[in-house]
Amino acid sequence: MAAATGSAAGAAPAGYTALAVKFAKRQCSPHCLLVKEHQVREGADAAHPPHRTLFVLNVPPYCGPDSLSRLFSRCGHVQSVDICDKRGSGEKKDKLMSKFFDQKTLKGFQVAYVVFKKPAAVQAAKALSQEGPLLISTESHPVKTGISKWITSYEASIVDPKELKAEVDAYMQDYDKKMAEEEAKAAKEEGVPDEEGWVKVTRKGRKPGLPRTEAANLRVLEKEKQKRARKELLNFYAWQHREVKREHIAQLRKKFEEDKQRIALMRAERKFRPY
Amino acid sequence: MAGSPEAAEEAEQGPEPSAGGTVRRGKRAAPRAAAPQAAKLSRAELYKPPTSEELNQLKETEDLFHSSLLRLQIEELLKEVTLKETKKKKIDAFLHEINSLLSAIPETPETELTDQAWLSKDVKVPFLQVPFNVKGRFHFVPPAELKVVGSYLLGTCIRPEINVDIAVTMPREIFQDKDNLNQRYHRKRALYLSHIAQHLSKEKLFGSVKFAYMNSNHLKPILLLRPQGKDEKMVTVRLHACPDSGLFKPSRFYPSKNNIRTAWFMEQSTPKEGTTEPPTPHYNNSILCDTVMLSHLHFLSNAATDFPGMKDGLALLKVWLNQRQLSKGLGCFSGFLVSMLVAYLLMKRKIVKMMSGYQVLRSTLQFLATTDLSVTGISLAKDADPSLPALDDFHQAFEVVFVDPSGLVNLCADMTASKYHQVQFEAKRSMEILDDRMVDGFQVLLMTPKPMLKTFDHVFHLKHVSKLQGTCKKMQLLNELMDRGGNYVAVALPFVVSLLARGLSRRAQLVAHSLPQIPEWPIDAEPPKHKDVGPVTFGLLFVPEFAASTLEKGPQADHPEALEFRTFWGEKSELRRFQDGSICEAVVWEASTVYQKRLISEQIVRHLLKLHADIPESSICYAGALLDSVISTGKEEQGTGEEAMVSVVCSYDDLSRKLWSLKELPLTVTAVQGVHPALRYTDVFPPIPMKPIYSFHTKSKHLLLPSEEKPCPAYITPLKIICHMEGSGQWPQDKGAIKRIKAAFHLQLAELLQQQHQLVCRPAVTYTDVYKDGYVFRLQVAYHREPLILKEVVTPEGMLKYQDTEESQQLELETLHLPYLTSSLHGLQQQHPVFGSTSRLAKRWISAQLLSDSISEECVDLLVAFLFLHPAPFTPPSSPQVGFLRFLNLLATFDWKNNPLIVNLNTGLTDSDCTEIKNKFVAARSRLPVMFLATPKDQCSSMWTRERPSAQILQRLVLLASESLRALEEQLMDPLSEQDVKMVFRPPLDIYDVLIHLNPNQIPRHLESVDRPAKSVSRGVVKNSSAMNILFPVVDYDPVQLYLQELRDAFDDLALFFYDKHGGEVIAVLWKPSSFQPQPFKVSNMKGRKVTTLNNELVCIPNVEAILEDFEILGEGLVKNVEARMEKWTI
Repeated sequence: MAAATGSAAGAAPAGYTALAVKFAKRQCSPHCLLVKEHQVREGADAAHPPHRTLFVLNVPPYCGPDSLSRLFSRCGHVQSVDICDKRGSGEKKDKLMSKFFDQKTLKGFQVAYVVFKKPAAVQAAKALSQEGPLLISTESHPVKTGISKWITSYEASIVDPKELKAEVDAYMQDYDKKMAEEEAKAAKEEGVPDEEGWVKVTRKGRKPGLPRTEAANLRVLEKEKQKRARKELLNFYAWQHREVKREHIAQLRKKFEEDKQRIALMRAERKFRPY
Repeated sequence: MAGSPEAAEEAEQGPEPSAGGTVRRGKRAAPRAAAPQAAKLSRAELYKPPTSEELNQLKETEDLFHSSLLRLQIEELLKEVTLKETKKKKIDAFLHEINSLLSAIPETPETELTDQAWLSKDVKVPFLQVPFNVKGRFHFVPPAELKVVGSYLLGTCIRPEINVDIAVTMPREIFQDKDNLNQRYHRKRALYLSHIAQHLSKEKLFGSVKFAYMNSNHLKPILLLRPQGKDEKMVTVRLHACPDSGLFKPSRFYPSKNNIRTAWFMEQSTPKEGTTEPPTPHYNNSILCDTVMLSHLHFLSNAATDFPGMKDGLALLKVWLNQRQLSKGLGCFSGFLVSMLVAYLLMKRKIVKMMSGYQVLRSTLQFLATTDLSVTGISLAKDADPSLPALDDFHQAFEVVFVDPSGLVNLCADMTASKYHQVQFEAKRSMEILDDRMVDGFQVLLMTPKPMLKTFDHVFHLKHVSKLQGTCKKMQLLNELMDRGGNYVAVALPFVVSLLARGLSRRAQLVAHSLPQIPEWPIDAEPPKHKDVGPVTFGLLFVPEFAASTLEKGPQADHPEALEFRTFWGEKSELRRFQDGSICEAVVWEASTVYQKRLISEQIVRHLLKLHADIPESSICYAGALLDSVISTGKEEQGTGEEAMVSVVCSYDDLSRKLWSLKELPLTVTAVQGVHPALRYTDVFPPIPMKPIYSFHTKSKHLLLPSEEKPCPAYITPLKIICHMEGSGQWPQDKGAIKRIKAAFHLQLAELLQQQHQLVCRPAVTYTDVYKDGYVFRLQVAYHREPLILKEVVTPEGMLKYQDTEESQQLELETLHLPYLTSSLHGLQQQHPVFGSTSRLAKRWISAQLLSDSISEECVDLLVAFLFLHPAPFTPPSSPQVGFLRFLNLLATFDWKNNPLIVNLNTGLTDSDCTEIKNKFVAARSRLPVMFLATPKDQCSSMWTRERPSAQILQRLVLLASESLRALEEQLMDPLSEQDVKMVFRPPLDIYDVLIHLNPNQIPRHLESVDRPAKSVSRGVVKNSSAMNILFPVVDYDPVQLYLQELRDAFDDLALFFYDKHGGEVIAVLWKPSSFQPQPFKVSNMKGRKVTTLNNELVCIPNVEAILEDFEILGEGLVKNVEARMEKWTI
C-alpha cells in the first residue's frame, strides 16, 4: 500500500500518506505533510479517539491550529486540533492553563492530531493527496508572518495590570485556603498517636526533631568525623614520625611523576620551541 | 593493584604499550591524540625506600630549581635550542675548508685607498665612503691568523640562528701610521673583506656569500658565508677582520680623544684655526672592539670552565632576550654582552660555579633589575691602572657603561639609556613573575614572545627616518654625526627618546624604541644607506593614574625653572592660577571625552617632535587608537561611549536609591543589583537616553506600538536589574505561588514608582519596565529561597534532597551569579579604566565575525578580565587597542584542551586552590565544556561556557583570532602602506551556504554596523533625558532577533544561523553536514524533510527548496532576498 500514488508531494513511508502543502500561491516548492490514522490501544488516549483522529507529521511553523482545521474542514467536520512538540506529548495537557503563567509556545515543525466528528473524514483527508498542494494562507484567511506577526505579538505581550491582579488574587486565595486546611489537619494530628502507637514528630511540636534533609545528615557525619580527628595524637610514636617522612618522599615522587607526564605531553605537542 | 605497567613506564621502554609510552612515541604521529590523564604510581613504587641518588636529585631540584616541573621544562627547552653533536661535526668540517681557502687568497699590488679599480665589478665595497677622499694606501695580504671566537667555541650559541664568528687578523704590513684617523682603518677593513668576498664568491663550497653590518653598525661590515645545499640554513659563518694586536697604541682611543678631523669630515681644505677637535668616543670604541676580540674569548672561556650552569644559563638568557626583541639591531643587548655580564657576576661572586642554569638566569635578572648601568657603570678591569680612563670618563661619552677586562672598551657603547631601561624593566617584571607561584614562569618568561605592538600601550612610527637629518641640524649634533660616521639615525635617536621621556615623564613609565636593523645584502649590491633602516617604532607604557590627565603643571612663575619649562613646551605653556593661590606655568591639553584624553600623549608627542626635533606631523604614524572607531556611534567628537556608560550607571544608582526608600511596600527591598552589561561598563554600545516621537508609532491606550508602515523603531535596550526582596515568613513555599507573588510585586512596584516618583512604568508578569532619564530599566523581583524551593526533591524515604534542575540553575544564574559577576567586573573597571572598552572591542569583533550568539557575553568579559588580572609577561593594558590585541592572542594561543583558564577575580583563589582546580580539571576533562573558565565562585563547573561555545565554534574562533591578529599586526606595524584596520571587523562570507539579506529599514541597530550606512532613516526617537509623563516607548523590539529565534526554532537540526547583532545586514546560514545525509524514516526526525526513494529504499532528506522559501515566509517584510549558493551543497 506504501508509496503514495503519483501525488505532488512524492513518496511516503508505509502507513502514511503524503499531502503537499504550501504557504500561499506564490510559493513553488511545497512541504509535505505525512498523515495517517491515529492508532492506539483501546482507551489509552481519550483525547484522541482512534478511527476518527488523523495524525499529522511535519507541520510547518507558520501553520497553526486554525489553519489546520480550515485545511481539513472540507473532509468533514473538525472537532478539535491539537498541536504538540512530538508524538505522544499532547496527553497530559488538559490541565487548567492560565493566561499569564506557565505558558508554552510551540515552535518550529510540529506534529498535530486532528480529531474529526466522523471516521469517514479521515479517509477523505487521505484522499487529499490526489489534489494539488493545500494552501495555508489564502486571501480570505491570511496568516500573519514576519513583521506584522511580530508587531501583533508585541501587542499581545502587553499585560493588563487589572486582569493580572485579579488572577493573582484569585490564585492566592485558593492557595491560602489550601494551606490553612493543611495546617489545620496537621495541628489536629499533632501529638496524636496513630493506630500502631507511633507519634509523628514535626517542626511545629515542642521538641522539633532534626530536619530530614540531606544537608543535615551530612552535617552530622562531618561533625562526627571532626570529633574523632580531634582525639587522635599524630606525633606520639616514632613510627608516626617515620610515616610522615615516608609520606613526604612519596608526595615528592608523585608530583615528579605527574610533572614528567605533563612534560611528555607538552613535548608531544611541541611546546618547547621558543620561536 | 599490580605495578607492572607503571614500572614499564618508569623504564621508558617497556614492551607493554603503556599509556605514557604511547604518548612519548606518538610524538610525530599524532601529537594531539592523547588527552591529559592523572599520573599514577603504584603504592609499592611510591613507598619504596629511596636511594641516596634519588634523594640527592629531589633535594637538588628543591634547591636549584623552583620545582621539579620547572626543572623538566628547562631541560626540554635546552634540548630544543642547543646545537646537536652531528651538526657540530658538519660545521667543523666547513670551517676547516674555509680556513684553507682563506690562506690561499693571492696578494694584490699596493694602491691608493681611493683607487678601487683593482676590485672586480661584481663586488661593491661594503662601506658608505662619505666623504670619499681619504689618504692612505692599501694592498691585500693573506691573513696572518684565523681564529674562531665567540659563542660557538664556548658552546653557548643557540638555535635557530647558529653563527660562527671567525676573527681574520689582517697582517701588520697593510697598515701605515695614522691609520687610526678619519675612518682609514675602517675602509681598509672593508676593502680587505671585499677582496676576500670576491675570491670566495667563486667557490662552489658556499651557498651564499653576503655582507652585513655587525649589529647593524655601519662602520663594521662583516662577511657572511653559508654552506651549499640543504645545510644553508644550518650555519652562518661571519668573518670579522681585525688588526694585529699591538698595532695601535691604546691611549689614542681613550673616550676623550679625537680621531676624526672636522676639516676632513666637512671636506674643507684647511682646518679652522683655534678650534679644539671634539672627542670621538664611538669611533674609538669601534676600533678598540676589533683589537680585543681574542682576549675576550680567553676571558669568557676561563669563566666557562668547570661551570656547566653557565652554558645553560646563557642559553636561557639568550632565549629571554630574543623573546623580548632585545638582541638584534644597533645598540642591542646581544648574546655576547650577556655572556660578559655573567662573567662579571662570576667575578663579583654574585654567581658561583655551583649554580644551575636557572639560578644563573635568576641572578643575572636580579642584577639587571637592581643596577642602572646608565648611572653607575661597571667594569671588568681587575686592577685599577691609573693611566686607564676612569668610569666617569666613560659616563661622559656614553649613555650606558660596561667596561671590558682591558679597561678600554665600552661594551654597551651603542646602547641608548632608554634601551637599557627597557631591559631593566623587563628584568624587574620577570623577577616578579618568577616569584609569583600562581603563574607558570617558564611559559611566560621563556616561551612567550613580546613584540612591541603587544607590549606597549601606545605605539607610533617615525615613517621617514630621513627626517632625522633635520633633527640633527636643529639640535646641533655635528660632533656626534662625525663620531658616528654620519649615521644620523643613531645620533638623533637617543636625543629624541630622552626628549619624549621628559615630556611624558609623569604619564609613561617606559618610553622605548625599536632597534634600527639593516638586513644583509648580496656582495654585488651597494651597501644600504642610513635611511634603509626603515621606520623607527616607539612604544609607550603608561602609568594608568596619570596618562589621561589634561594638565601639565610646571614651576611657579617667579622660579628660575619657569623659563626652562617654557622653552621646553613652547607656546603651549601659559601662566595659570591654581586653587591653592599659586600662579604656575602650565600646559593644558584639549580633551573633553575619555577617548580624547587617552590620546593626549599623541598630542604631546606630535607637539614636542615638531617643536624640538623638526619632525613634521605627517611623518608620525600614531597607532594608539586606530580601532576605537568601531565602538563609537555617531561622530568622532562623541568619543567611544564611556561618558554614556557613566550616565547610565548614575541613573541606575538613583533608581536603586528610590527603590530602597519606596514606601508602602509590604516587604522592603534588601538589595538592588544590576545585571545588564552596561552596568559593568562592557556593553558594546551603551544605551543613549531617548524619547519617542508619537507620530512615528501606533498609539495604544498608554503606550506606543511599532507601526507596520514605518521603519522599525530604534532599539531600546531594557537594562535588567534584580531587586531582592526581604525574606519573610509571609512568602509562600510553593513554586507556583511564589511566581504569583512576584507578579503581584511587579504590579505594585510599578504603581508605587508611578505614585511616589512619577516614573512611567509598564508592568508584566516577570518584570516591570521603568522609563527613567530616557533609559528603560527592567526590574525583576527575586526571592532568595526560590532557587532552593525549585531544587527540592523528597526521596521515597521521606528525606528532603536538593537537586539541580534546569529552572533552578537558570534562576540562580540570573539572580545570584550574574549580579555577583557584574559587581566584580564593575570593581575591576574602577581599577583598570580601559577594561570596559577592551571588552567592548572584543565583543564587537566577535559579533562582527557573526559569532556573538555562539559565545556568551559573560564569557568574553571574563576572558578580558583575565588579561587585566593575569597580564604576565606583560603589564595590565592601558589602552583598549593593546588589550584587544592581547585578547586575540589569548584566544589564538591558549591551550583550551589541556588547561583551565583561571580568572582570579578579587584575588579569591590561593595557590593551592589553583592546583586543585587544575587537578580536578584533568581528572574530569572529557565531561567539561570545551572552553573551561574557573573563577573563585565557580571553581569546577564553568557556568558561563557550559552550553556555548561548541567545539566547532571554538575552533573557528581560534582560527579567526589568529588570522585577525596576524593581519592586524601587519597593518599596525607597517605605517607606509595605507591599509584599513577595520578589515578584521569584516567577516569572510564565502564559507556559508545561504545568505539571507535583510531590509535595512527593519534593522533597528543599523547605525551600529562596522561600516556606518551612508544615509540613515529616522527611527522615531530623539535624544532626550528629561522627558516625563510620556507614553511608554517600544522596548526590546528587534525584528531581526525575533526572526533569528524563529529560524533557530524551526531549523535547528538542519542548519546554523550566524548574524552580527550590531546592525548586520545579512544572516549567514550553514547547513549541518550530518543532516544532509539521507536517513531512514523516523517519526521524530521528519522536521522540514521529505521522503524519497533512493536505491529502492525510502529515505528522508531535507526539503531544501521549501526551506529556502520558508526563510522568506517567516521573515515577511524583513527579508530582502535569499541568496542560495546551490553549488556549495549536494544532497
